[in-house]
Amino acid sequence: MQQLLTTALTGLTLGMVYAAFALALVLIWRSTRIINFAQAPMAMVTTYVALVLIDAGLSYWIAFAAALLAGLVLGAAVERIVIRPVEGATHINAVILTLGLFIVLNAAAAVVFGSQYRSFPAPFGLRGFQVGEVNVALTGFGIFTIVSVLVVMGLLVALFRLTDLGLKMRASAFNGEVARLLGVRVSGMLTLGWALAALVGSLSGLLIAGGSLVHPAYMDSVVVFGFVAAVLGGLDSPVGAVIGGLLLGVSLSVVSGYVGSELVALSALLILMLVLLLKPGGLFSHAAERRV
Amino acid sequence: MLDVHDLTTSYGPVKALDHVTFSAPRGKVTAVLGANGAGKTTLLRTLSGLLRPTEGTATLDGTDLVDTPTEKMSALGLSHVPEGRGVITELTVEENLRLGGLGRSDRSRPADMDRIFSLFPVLGDRRNANAHVLSGGERQMLVIGRALMANPKLLLLDEPSLGLAPRIVAQIFGLLRSLVESDGLTVLLVEQNARSALSIADFGVVLNLGRVVVHDDAGVLAADEKLRHAYLGF
Repeated sequence: MQQLLTTALTGLTLGMVYAAFALALVLIWRSTRIINFAQAPMAMVTTYVALVLIDAGLSYWIAFAAALLAGLVLGAAVERIVIRPVEGATHINAVILTLGLFIVLNAAAAVVFGSQYRSFPAPFGLRGFQVGEVNVALTGFGIFTIVSVLVVMGLLVALFRLTDLGLKMRASAFNGEVARLLGVRVSGMLTLGWALAALVGSLSGLLIAGGSLVHPAYMDSVVVFGFVAAVLGGLDSPVGAVIGGLLLGVSLSVVSGYVGSELVALSALLILMLVLLLKPGGLFSHAAERRV
Repeated sequence: MLDVHDLTTSYGPVKALDHVTFSAPRGKVTAVLGANGAGKTTLLRTLSGLLRPTEGTATLDGTDLVDTPTEKMSALGLSHVPEGRGVITELTVEENLRLGGLGRSDRSRPADMDRIFSLFPVLGDRRNANAHVLSGGERQMLVIGRALMANPKLLLLDEPSLGLAPRIVAQIFGLLRSLVESDGLTVLLVEQNARSALSIADFGVVLNLGRVVVHDDAGVLAADEKLRHAYLGF
């Protein structure tokens, strides 16, 4: 019972972290139909920005806010400088550019910030608590992780479903030319999509770093699981990204706890295969309903 | 109202529009007719800024259109319903209409979706449905309604009758005509179905290989048998 509870809670917390990363991927996919392979190093860079501020003596929360802001700026900058020049060509060009950016950012971060392992603070503490006889493996930081991702997901869903801006962003992604004819500044919407995605990515970077060690490649382990979570949920759905992340987190935690941690990576890919065999678009995909 | 002068648009070495000159008067329907490849769609896409002309001018009530970016067109009062309709099928009927209203020129007045639902009751019945479940005729009504949400002065329509049953075409064209009468809307109607177009048009411009062949009253065009046989297919 104890082990099941611990396993489930660890999985839940971890799953939320994958969900945050997956959310960032889903955002860029929804708004531009591009897979951003540079999402992990972008989040790593913004976490380092936070680390620099913490080193300088500023509080965690100021550094947190600065990292999110840096994410917004970095996302907009990447869209304008790297992606915009290849806008007219096929999407694969932009995807390859993000791969290149992945390599460049990793190398640049090592040069600028150094390759040594640095510890990163975790607000609200890293200790679980006790309920009677049972040790609940849910730390303060874990609760913060879960709540912050749910809040971000809620805000994103509200943005897309309820606001005019969200409608414009969705229209720009679905049919850019028609959106332009209706008066939408499509290029501005694309930049905004990237900026928001990078902001969510920054959050995932901070959540993974909390209580752990930061170095230029620290996000790379999340990349695979984050991608799997995004595809599991159906790349188009923010809610799907979160559910995919949770499913993955809990399943992998169960595998790690009851079977063996060597099988975790294999299990992730097996889960992906299974879901895609049964529901090719991912769990929350709509039927393919493109232009006719 | 719409004045086009020597408008020339090329696709590489091919002149899709060759010194096209005509005017579309206010509050009237001007049909743009001709065979496939005559340049009709190119004309509309040049007017709405999706294509840049190499020569010539186009003005809407004196405002230059050539140097205006596409995104500013609906605020100027120009609404273009493109070839293929342009229904955004991933959005609902209501979301498509709301989107149309976001680009309206007069931001002080709220966008009037109820009016569109009274013009097209079938859209009201399906307001929360995903647009992809609509039939061809319903989609055409949706995109016209969406364009009207912006309160346009000039409506550009690219082959609205394409793929629709004759009864639906008659219904939609009848509605267009009554909108022109009631709102003073100016319509530039591109059609291959010349007979239907001329039945509601006041004027007609016939294009052939990018050039204007004839520009006259719709009644005169419809009566000219040689012209009809040569360019309009009936």
